[in-house]
Amino acid sequence: MIRAAARQMVSTRALRWLTSFGMLAVAILAGASIGETPIPPMTVLQTLANKLLVADYPLDPIDEGIIWNYRLTRAVVAACCGASLAVSGVVLQALLRNALADPYIMGISAGASTGAVAVTIAGFGAGVVSLSMGAFAGAILAFGLVALLARAAGGGMSGHGAAQIVLAGIAGSQLFNALTTFIITKSANADQARGILFWLLGNLSGARWHDVLLGAPIAMAGVTICALHARSLDAFTFGAESAASLGIPVRRLQMVLIGTSALLTAVIVSMVGSIGFVGLVIPHAARLVVGVRHARLIPASALSGAVFLVVADILSRTIIPGQVLPIGVVTALIGAPGFALILIRGAGQR
Amino acid sequence: MKLTATELGWSTRRHSILNSVSLEVEPGKVLGLVGPNGSGKSTLLRLLSGILKPTSGHVFLKNRPLAELSRREVAQRIAFVEQQADTSERITVRDAVELGRTPWLSLRHPWGDADDALVAQALKDVGMDHFADRQWATLSGGERQRTHIARALVQKPGLLLLDEPTNHLDVHHQLSILALVSKLTVTTVVAIHDLNQAMDCDSVGVLDQGNLVAIGPPEEVLSVERLRDTFGVGVTHLTDPHDGRRIMRFHS
Repeated sequence: MIRAAARQMVSTRALRWLTSFGMLAVAILAGASIGETPIPPMTVLQTLANKLLVADYPLDPIDEGIIWNYRLTRAVVAACCGASLAVSGVVLQALLRNALADPYIMGISAGASTGAVAVTIAGFGAGVVSLSMGAFAGAILAFGLVALLARAAGGGMSGHGAAQIVLAGIAGSQLFNALTTFIITKSANADQARGILFWLLGNLSGARWHDVLLGAPIAMAGVTICALHARSLDAFTFGAESAASLGIPVRRLQMVLIGTSALLTAVIVSMVGSIGFVGLVIPHAARLVVGVRHARLIPASALSGAVFLVVADILSRTIIPGQVLPIGVVTALIGAPGFALILIRGAGQR
Repeated sequence: MKLTATELGWSTRRHSILNSVSLEVEPGKVLGLVGPNGSGKSTLLRLLSGILKPTSGHVFLKNRPLAELSRREVAQRIAFVEQQADTSERITVRDAVELGRTPWLSLRHPWGDADDALVAQALKDVGMDHFADRQWATLSGGERQRTHIARALVQKPGLLLLDEPTNHLDVHHQLSILALVSKLTVTTVVAIHDLNQAMDCDSVGVLDQGNLVAIGPPEEVLSVERLRDTFGVGVTHLTDPHDGRRIMRFHS
């Protein structure tokens, strides 16, 4: 009987996984088919078959090109970004014992933007440092500053002073956004400045295959690293000190996992700009569905983050006919009310 | 597991919190730590647990320096129940207790039936088996504390450190927790507020302003002079006619 129950558990789990990946596939398919020129999903599938399975469907080469080189890459990059941001949010929330932690609020995205702009516009690193590396340096620097400020304000990493770390994050975001604007104003010409400001709010229109080749492996590696530490993250339920007494090497884990989420954020920012609220709202929504255990929460957040951002991208392209809204605007329009709900629920618990 | 501390000290840049504390607890015995608020009980427990690194001195488990062990190896030997560890996560009692298995689990040793059995036993031991599926947020202070102790028990430690475990409990649960602790075969160091409860320990250490001013059998240590000097209270010793045990009544 127990074996039958176990088998059933395995099969429900398999079913759940299948449904989740099915949803992601449908979302990407929709992303490739919906747009200014709608292309039937069948054509999208045929394009995929032509490209991946060496099938030979007679298709309009323009349609094929739009799907393969623009929309598909865009949807896949969106999925990678969504997954990375959501998992970064989960990790930061667990390690900092703070329901409001996320790469955007903690100033990591802003730092990454500054790093990216410093490399591309101000020519920092003299061509040796890549855009992603600049963004990573900026992300780490920003987090370091925010953590120091929070500690000086009496909060910090141990989980006390939830307000301090969020306030420090706001201060950090403001500082790095100001630095970014400063660099742009000082070094960029008008055309560059327009392009960059649009990119900063989140812009997937530049996503091509080389972005997929950078983003997908890093997203997968990052999510895997975090998932492998699921049990250690669970141990932070009662704070860092309690985690230490359960045998978790707290300092090392914080360095590895915060470093991972900074890297994920940096890669995303260097590809598509900074997108807010995904890392905040998706983990909370996922918790409501699968519970707080990280072994389930991390994959669930990764998948729902991916689907969410693909859908948000579709919305950003279709909400205003003939115009593309920065995707950060769409996520903020959905995410800000979500953020408010979390705040209100948090107050109810106290 | 035998616990030894030699000249243990901890200080911040400006203040010395604990000075040169040396103590020894024989395997299976219970050491009670008493002392006024801020006398260094919690700091001493955190040093013994290895969470805090001493600025001077050493801790030995079975004559092996604690500093030689990895975090995980320490957690397989020492369980620590802090004061008021709380969470806003929506976890159940069982979730909280299962955390105690963390130091024993790895990719190669995943959760198994034996772990389930340990969790069930610990929940029973602290009288929380009927509450296993209750949400943490709905628990009373006493129920939370008992859950924490169950979490410490599934860690299967050789040394159990408890920081004022009866603090939030009603008198019935105070007694049941203390009875539970004294039944355990594990070496235990417990910070206690209630001096009469400290009388039930195998030995008692008195901390005063970061110094271990006395350690030994409770009847000797908790003398009239000691209580006057350390706590600033007078004491009358009474005898319980029920079982002939000595109890203390305090007056200012």
